[in-house]
Amino acid sequence: MTIQINLNQPPFSFLSDEQLEWLTSRLDLVFFPQGAVILDEGDPAPGIYIVYKGIVEETDSEGTIFSQYGNEDVFDVRAVLETACKHRYTAMEETLCYLLKAKDFVQLLEESNDFSIYFKTDLGTQEQLVDQRETGVSEFILSRIDEDTIRSPVYVTGQTSLARVAALMREQKHDAILVRTAKKVGIVTGTDLLRATLLGDMTKQTKVADIANYNLIDVTYGDFLFNALLKMTQHGIERVVVRQDGDIIGMLELMDMLSLFSTHSHVIAMRIEQAKTMKELVVAARRLETLINNLFTQGVKVVAIMELITTLNRRLMQRAYDLIFPERLRNSICILVLGSEGRGEQILKTDQDNAVILENEHDREAVLPLLQRLHEAFLDFGYPPCPGGVMFISDSWIDTGEGWQNRVNRWLSSAEPEPMMNMAIFMDAEPVCGNPELFKPVKASWQKESLRSSITSAWFARPALQFETPLTFLGKIREDHGSIDIKKGGIFPLVHGVRALSFEYGINECNTLARLEILQGRHVLDEEIAQGLKDALLLFLRIRLRQQLQSHSDNPGLSQQLKLNSLRSVDRSLLRHALHRVKKFKQFLINHYHLESF
Amino acid sequence: MWKHALWKKLSGQMPPQGRWQHLADPYDGDEVVVLDCETSVFDKRKGELLSVAAVRVKGREIMLSGAIDITVKSNAVTDPNAVRVHYLRREDREQGVAVSEAIENLLDFIGNRPICGFYIEYDRAVLNRYIKQLYNFKLPNRFIEVSEIYVRRKRRLVPELHLDLTFEGLAKDLKVPVIERHTAMGDVISTALMYIKLTRF
Repeated sequence: MTIQINLNQPPFSFLSDEQLEWLTSRLDLVFFPQGAVILDEGDPAPGIYIVYKGIVEETDSEGTIFSQYGNEDVFDVRAVLETACKHRYTAMEETLCYLLKAKDFVQLLEESNDFSIYFKTDLGTQEQLVDQRETGVSEFILSRIDEDTIRSPVYVTGQTSLARVAALMREQKHDAILVRTAKKVGIVTGTDLLRATLLGDMTKQTKVADIANYNLIDVTYGDFLFNALLKMTQHGIERVVVRQDGDIIGMLELMDMLSLFSTHSHVIAMRIEQAKTMKELVVAARRLETLINNLFTQGVKVVAIMELITTLNRRLMQRAYDLIFPERLRNSICILVLGSEGRGEQILKTDQDNAVILENEHDREAVLPLLQRLHEAFLDFGYPPCPGGVMFISDSWIDTGEGWQNRVNRWLSSAEPEPMMNMAIFMDAEPVCGNPELFKPVKASWQKESLRSSITSAWFARPALQFETPLTFLGKIREDHGSIDIKKGGIFPLVHGVRALSFEYGINECNTLARLEILQGRHVLDEEIAQGLKDALLLFLRIRLRQQLQSHSDNPGLSQQLKLNSLRSVDRSLLRHALHRVKKFKQFLINHYHLESF
Repeated sequence: MWKHALWKKLSGQMPPQGRWQHLADPYDGDEVVVLDCETSVFDKRKGELLSVAAVRVKGREIMLSGAIDITVKSNAVTDPNAVRVHYLRREDREQGVAVSEAIENLLDFIGNRPICGFYIEYDRAVLNRYIKQLYNFKLPNRFIEVSEIYVRRKRRLVPELHLDLTFEGLAKDLKVPVIERHTAMGDVISTALMYIKLTRF
């Protein structure tokens, strides 16, 4: 049948080909004139509508607009599942909808788990399902056997005793050792040793040549890892020999191979730990972006990537710090990362936001040139400089502990936008190098009971309203030349609003997700709002990251423009829901801080 | 009047007693059947039926899920130009059903509902030719010509209006999507949309 919509996208892509074909044969087509009420409050829904052409608006009895539906959007699933429709759906222009009858829809829900889970769950779970689906061919299949995957072989002669071989295995942390005799090469494994001595009648003094296995299973260097895995499976073994031009050049262990993909990051972490020169660190740092790309295309969740990258970034900074600062000075200063890096929400490098606490004012002269070198190292790692100059090389962002406390007090009593923004940036500080003890009294200077419900808190919160949510008053995404600024429109108001509440309630955490958890625990936000905001933030970060990775620019992390036409319709609809949550949250902030009077 | 009806019955116009008798019953439902035939050449006396699609329309709903779209197994030599029009090559028609079966299914599907189409006279003539041959009657159903409703609606306001009465012209003026033009089913859907728009909006 001639169906004019793309069903090859969520939620329909969760269906099997047969189910899709069946669904296609069950669709009817309904034509609505402009202004027609498709479904009204209290109506039983005849089925789910899938918009083919036109626009449908969802309103409640007071005329408040909830949402708009365009091409390939689906409504009203809830009405089908719950017996009656809660809102009114009106065709805003001539509208053509496919109609899948309720009983057919329910039948599909019963037949397909993913399909029903998608419809019966909230935004966050829908996201996960979509995420999982996106994981296409795993990188595993395309990876090849190279330097990073193999171990260099350890050889013994055939005359070596079993006892000596066992000792070597322990020393070298290899579970398999190659045995070279006059004529051939064999292999002996830990299991072989056990079998020969405990189950057989060999002794510690037996020559290894007697028990080695000379039927070596091998793979070729540069071959697909996948083939190595196949060979191991076929032969029921856990390692193969890697040959290049016929010569044995290494061993490939099943365990190494399996851990390779979950811990590709380990390679980088190891390089960071072992780096002895700044050059080596720069090499490791430059690989982070590839790592992010790999993890993301493998379908690793944004929140996991965020945590991993934050950890690696901080290790990277620590190593650079250790390389540059002499031991004498290392414990008398504290380097703070601020802003998104402090919150642990930076994935692609955006900018350097950082500050320094000095233990002693008289160290300043000695420290300044070292900080300059550290700053340059960060530039080499790929952190662009902060356009607002929030960096420890600037006088305004270096002070003693006492000096910082005074500054904080000045900021708080000023009630001016700029000091308040400084406070906001500084509030997300996290000590990453040097002595974290120096930061504690500074942090305590703004975690005060007196801020609760104070005018200062309201001043602090106000910038969250500074940018409008990019939704039209019809509830549709308002685009500017096909894109929206996701930072201004979604991320900043959400992050800053949560920060303001954390400021008011003296919450120690910096990460927005962690802050939301605590705010919920303290009953400042109810569960629905907190969960909704978490889902929204992760969605913003995920869609932004996807587009940034596709942008191929030098500093992809700097782009905040989200192109709407390259979003799939499911993402567009999730984005619209998420923006609505931000809008509602802003209303919450207005009520909470009485911002309407400002 | 009864004389006229009697004459029609005797002369093989009306369905005789038996299987198709009900087609002549007056229709009191609210559905119409929109249909479209594709033929080997565009000639109502010679064109052989290659495919026929039909859908019931009720109110503003096109009941696609119950639609029929039948390809006829036919060896008719097609006008190469016509193939370009309906894309039914002889190979595609190999999978089809016998023309008698197609007509039988179609008559069952239509029942005594009114039949609607674009330039429906053509389809009527082609179908009647087969029905006459198979069952010795002609379709007694009421026929609705979409372009006629269109002209009536337009000229009611401006009698001298020049109108583009091609399929595409109507679709464009009525802002109705043209779906897979020249497949029987695609044309049926577009025609059904025109009909709904002309009668229900």
